[in-house]
Amino acid sequence: MDGKRQGSLLLLLLMSNLLLCKNVASQPMCPSGSSCRVSLRDLFERAIILSHYIHSLSSELSQEFDAQYSQGPEFFTQAMSMCHTASLSTPAGKEQAHQIHQKDFVILVIHLLRSWTEPLSHLIIEANHLPKAPDTLIAKAMEIQEQNQRLLEGVKKISKLVDPEIIDNGDYSVWLGLPSLQSNDLESRLFAYHNEFRCLRRDTHKVDNYLKFLKCQIAYDGSC
Amino acid sequence: MQENVTRAVVFTLLLCLNIRLLNGESPPGKPVIFKCSSPEKETFTCWWKPGANGGLPTNYTLTYYKEGEDTIYECPDYNTSGPNSCYFSKKFTSLWSVYIIRVYATNKMGISASDERLVDVAYIVEPNPPKNVTLEIQQPEDGKPYLWIKWVPPTLADTASGWLLLQYEVRLKHEKAVEWEIYFAGQQTNFKVLSFYPGYKYLVHVRCKPDHGLWSKWSEEHSIEIPSDLNMNDETTWIFVAILSAVICLVMVWAVAFKGYRMMTCILPPVPGPKIKGFDTRLLETGKTEEFLTAFGCQGFPPTSDCEDLLVEFLEVNDSEDQQLMPSFSKKYPGQGVKFRHPDRDNDSGHGSCDSPSLLSEKCGGPWANPRTFHIPKVIEKLENLEANITCTWDPLNISTEGKIFNFHTNGSRSSTWPLPQPSQHKPRSPYHSTAEVCKLPMGPKAALATVLDKSVKDALKFSKSIEIGGEEKAVKKMEVESFPAKTEQDTAWLLPQEKTPFIPEKTLDYVEIHKVNKDGALSLTPKQKNSIDQTEKPQASEISKEYVKVVRVTDNNILVLVPDPRAQNKEAPRSLQQNQAEKDTSCFTATPSNCRLHLGGSDYLDPASLTHSFHGQFE
Repeated sequence: MDGKRQGSLLLLLLMSNLLLCKNVASQPMCPSGSSCRVSLRDLFERAIILSHYIHSLSSELSQEFDAQYSQGPEFFTQAMSMCHTASLSTPAGKEQAHQIHQKDFVILVIHLLRSWTEPLSHLIIEANHLPKAPDTLIAKAMEIQEQNQRLLEGVKKISKLVDPEIIDNGDYSVWLGLPSLQSNDLESRLFAYHNEFRCLRRDTHKVDNYLKFLKCQIAYDGSC
Repeated sequence: MQENVTRAVVFTLLLCLNIRLLNGESPPGKPVIFKCSSPEKETFTCWWKPGANGGLPTNYTLTYYKEGEDTIYECPDYNTSGPNSCYFSKKFTSLWSVYIIRVYATNKMGISASDERLVDVAYIVEPNPPKNVTLEIQQPEDGKPYLWIKWVPPTLADTASGWLLLQYEVRLKHEKAVEWEIYFAGQQTNFKVLSFYPGYKYLVHVRCKPDHGLWSKWSEEHSIEIPSDLNMNDETTWIFVAILSAVICLVMVWAVAFKGYRMMTCILPPVPGPKIKGFDTRLLETGKTEEFLTAFGCQGFPPTSDCEDLLVEFLEVNDSEDQQLMPSFSKKYPGQGVKFRHPDRDNDSGHGSCDSPSLLSEKCGGPWANPRTFHIPKVIEKLENLEANITCTWDPLNISTEGKIFNFHTNGSRSSTWPLPQPSQHKPRSPYHSTAEVCKLPMGPKAALATVLDKSVKDALKFSKSIEIGGEEKAVKKMEVESFPAKTEQDTAWLLPQEKTPFIPEKTLDYVEIHKVNKDGALSLTPKQKNSIDQTEKPQASEISKEYVKVVRVTDNNILVLVPDPRAQNKEAPRSLQQNQAEKDTSCFTATPSNCRLHLGGSDYLDPASLTHSFHGQFE
């Protein structure tokens, strides 16, 4: 009788230990890496500073391009075409933003940021062939590219803290706009550039808006 | 027939139109969409300005479509935002997509369409002004009073969820001011104003702006009356501090002004200048040499025949680059341009070209070979003005064996014409300020003196009381040499020619002793008995010995310590009797004023030529 009781107790202990171990294992307080030290709020603050800066640069870039290369009033009005990130379903309003799960929201931001890595590098290269010495434009584009990478790293860290089991499957929107940038027709080329800068401006605004929203939602529990 | 009908119809129509036109009716003018904005990034409104209505009631319709879509929609709400507006509610607002909007004006006569307007709601955010602006005067106990302005975000803006980020700006001025003071308040909803004037009425406005949007309008004006009796503590304190510091400054200035000299002397005691008893610098300056000399007890210059007894031996000094030359006639010493030759006693020039400060080695093998010739090297100074009777009392010249020869420092690496009888391996640069320099000593204030003699020399310089020349009323003046710069002991050298040529090893050096000092304080040196000394009691220009003696130093008693050539000294060692046993190699002599009347050219050496002139009369 005693032995049986002891045996069951032992079994009980073993099972509970296993369960506890599993729980502990599945919920690491802090994944390895130095990012653990920086709290979520600080990470968001840093990310927001970067995203704000990136969008300011993008706005300037787009406006300067339009001013420099426009060939008449409303010249670029007809140049509107779809952005390559349009396939991504991003919230277009506050209500929609509230409806997205926080985890998914962060993934969405990463997706957006990653979608611009390749187009930016091509833009910088091809812009050298633009007619009117676009040095400042290229410089701004390069700065955006650099800061974009940093922001991507930062948001990845945030995602790890938000949900350690987050799965980032590396998705991003494919960009197919290179041929337009290399077009022989100057007007088509200008239209293509205008569109790229317009889309860049928009997407950086989205990222900035989302991060500021997420900061209050995640780091301040919905009330800044 | 047909034509007639058509013509009639057209005519009628035109007539009708004419009538209508005459009545003032026309199609509407083109409306203009002048503003679209969103107050909170969730809805937006567009306002248009109607054109001329053509005299008829005109209908306005707004239509839009989104980029990438073909469907045309009509404005969902014409009323919420007032007349000639279209309000898009949340349901109809999508951020980050472009709306292409157009307004149509329709009346009986026709339709007019406005231009297309492209709108992306995310970029047209313009919030309402902040609300509930409150003004307060706060007076904390431990600080300055301040004006505290508080407000809340506009009603519709949702800053709590983070969807909209607002930054604020405050402007204020008092009633009479012309310009506003604008302060940026960041994202906080309050602001403290620290600088204001009591007794005025202040007006305040606040406005806000989203992070990437447009500034709102200024809020309503709020005013506050600041009480006149407000205690702005800081100012009182600062006034008190200012007065106190001003008083302190005044006190200090007064102290410095009146007591400044005394304070300075306390802090920085002045360096005493050289003084010589009985020496009046003013006499020097006036150029009255007679008085000057009499002050020293000199009887006049040049010395008269009374001073026959005065033997002043001139030093003929050959300087060489390497002072070490001096002692060696042997090949030991590198001949630095100085050739040591067998002294030729007969060759007694001792002056002339050999006196130049330049290297004489080549030229003058002879002169300095003459042991009897004393030549005083040239000295660069204004000694010619000085007829002071340089009196150096001196003990019997003692030429000790140990020669620690101090070299008077000359101004440069001027090669001295006088080699040093120098055993020690110091490096006297130019030893031959020597007599001239010493002579300068009583000249007092001239800095050259000070610069020349070594401290130790200074100490060694003494006036021996023992040397009282009979008949001389005036005591030998003590020569106080002051403020000799401290130099290395090797700096100065001082040579006295001796009877023997020091350069000849075989020759022994002689001791020179002071024969007497005449009333003028002139020295007569007599060599002590030596083997091969050709002695002349009176150093004559033609017989000036060319033996050298270096002045080692000046002892405390103002005795010049002369040092002969060490080789020679060896023999003489036993004979040397120093008054100051403490001093080795001391010998002392004083030069007559005449000696010291040196032409100071550009060299450090006395020009024997100048001296010989003066002494020709004195010495036969």
